[in-house]
Amino acid sequence: MKERLFRLKKGVIIVKRTVVIGLGNPILSDDAVGVKVARQLRVALIDSDMIEIKELYAGGMRVMDAIAGFEKAVIIDAMQTGLHKPGTIRLIDSAELGSARNLASSHDTNLPTALELGRMLGLSMPRDVKVFGIEAFDVENFSEALTEDVERSMPEAVNMILKEVMP
Amino acid sequence: MKKRISIDPITRLEGHGKIEIFLNEEGDVANTYFQVPELRGFEQFCKGRLAEDMPVITNRICGVCPEAHHLASVKALDALFDANPPGAAKKIRELLYSAFYVTDHTTHFYALGGPDFIVGPDAPPSERNILGVIRKVGLDIGKAVIECRSRNHHVIEMLGGRSIHPAAGLPGGWSKSVSEEERKEIAEIAKKNVDFALFTLKAFGDIVLKNPAYLELVTSDIYLHRTYSMGTVDDKNRVNFYDGMIRVVDPEGIEFVKYPSKDYAKHIAERVEPWTYLKFPYLKKIGWKGFVDGIDSGVYSATPLSRLNVSDSMATPLAQEEFERMYQTFGSKKINNRFQPIHHRLATHWARLIELLYAAERMVELANDPEITSPDVRRIPERIKGIGIGSVEAPRGTLTHHYESDERGVLTKVNLIVGTTNNYAPMTMSIKKVAERLITKGNVVEEGMLNRIEMAFRLYDPCLSCATHSLPGTMPLTVTIKDSTGAVVRELKRQ
Repeated sequence: MKERLFRLKKGVIIVKRTVVIGLGNPILSDDAVGVKVARQLRVALIDSDMIEIKELYAGGMRVMDAIAGFEKAVIIDAMQTGLHKPGTIRLIDSAELGSARNLASSHDTNLPTALELGRMLGLSMPRDVKVFGIEAFDVENFSEALTEDVERSMPEAVNMILKEVMP
Repeated sequence: MKKRISIDPITRLEGHGKIEIFLNEEGDVANTYFQVPELRGFEQFCKGRLAEDMPVITNRICGVCPEAHHLASVKALDALFDANPPGAAKKIRELLYSAFYVTDHTTHFYALGGPDFIVGPDAPPSERNILGVIRKVGLDIGKAVIECRSRNHHVIEMLGGRSIHPAAGLPGGWSKSVSEEERKEIAEIAKKNVDFALFTLKAFGDIVLKNPAYLELVTSDIYLHRTYSMGTVDDKNRVNFYDGMIRVVDPEGIEFVKYPSKDYAKHIAERVEPWTYLKFPYLKKIGWKGFVDGIDSGVYSATPLSRLNVSDSMATPLAQEEFERMYQTFGSKKINNRFQPIHHRLATHWARLIELLYAAERMVELANDPEITSPDVRRIPERIKGIGIGSVEAPRGTLTHHYESDERGVLTKVNLIVGTTNNYAPMTMSIKKVAERLITKGNVVEEGMLNRIEMAFRLYDPCLSCATHSLPGTMPLTVTIKDSTGAVVRELKRQ
């Protein structure tokens, strides 16, 4: 499968077991936060044999495609609940997935459906799927920059994900 | 007598698609308003950038149809830089685009629009999705859908450089040619696509058309609107997704106008309404008469059904057979030796499958065209004209990119009319019609109301993400019903 990269290291084939997916629109202000966190993680995990980082700009079945074949998946997306201060990072449970901007707003299926679909079809779906949401302030203006509070949350977001994928 | 209702200044909506229904004193529907939040600043975002960056900027507007934006953008640049691409480049673009159409229309049918029929419009939302479809028709179908997406994403990657956001488009051509090995692989994939399209059409026939309840729904007048139709056609008046002239036919099927995309501003104007940021395109020469049907109203539709309505025939043989079958099923008569348009909006789902078949057959044609492996894929631009307009048929409707630049190629103006925007007025009308059926004399038929309104949306397959450049969504929807004093009578919410 394309999603799993095999690296030959000292004669041993290493299989990447964890995938981290940064989800978002890179030119829509805070909607880009998931993608930007993924980019920073890519730098932090550059020598990792076990963790694959991906950037995705659409949810639905593309997420299913991207996580197939991995044992663990961590997804980062912008949220707009209106209930938390912008920049707040939270582990989202499945009940709240409707507020994840790109995960929920798919043109085909949402994440729980996509996961079930994958399992139904015998695509190897991860046993462990975690979704981190970062509360956005502005997701309505085109811009390549994050707003201040969201920008300031990035180091903490990166650390939280690192702890999650490398306990 | 209808009481005049004053509408409150628009409050900005956060994260929800909103429909507001206003009742008159008798408790019947007076007006319906469809509101979406707005994304702002795209033109500002683009001004000052290099025009040649636009194909990789605009393909990020939306993760659903980046290919459409990429190609419309590249065509606008062809015009801006006055560089007509070599034949092979155009064919490669069209081949990539056809593969994209196969994935898009397959996904829409099995995951979004199809479930309404295959599982049923009154089934719970948790079942009205691809899982419900699979439970009904079998696991093999699910696997076939995934396989179809996968092999066509592979084609897009081969031709376009990246799977989700193609990046190979250049003013005057394409950045890579196709090898013989790639061509062979694509030709094989194209054949599989044709088989799958035929299978899907048969499934639609068996499940939908042979079911009296569904057939009644499809042919009923609840989703019937007699408007003008718009689509892009080749020199034989057959739909072409990549290139051609934009053709508009009236509700009876008589050609109203045919124009090259660069003349769009002569024919299309945009209506601004106080209750939404979205603009409503309409035919300038007819004029804006409100959200009404008919030959005297400038409202038009641009959907898969519209595209077939403006076509005299299909450019590929199997699709042509299906085209004839559909129009005959609806009892469509011929005028000037062409079928009169179908206005039953649910037929859009059928039209979409005919387009799926056409896209697959077109892939076979292009993959077997000797010019497709030509190394001559680029004409280097030599000058900047300063204005460039390019359009393609996006799955959701005619998509137009309009760029203006200075003598260095730095953008000074950007205007986009995206697929769904064309249909905003018809969508509003469809919602109103459903509401009128389900609300009379103040009685609201709640059961299934939300579903039937959503069905009106789904057939247009709106990409609200693009249309206002709004918040994406399928769709946390709130329907608010207000009486003639403006008080909220009922609020229906989809979480």
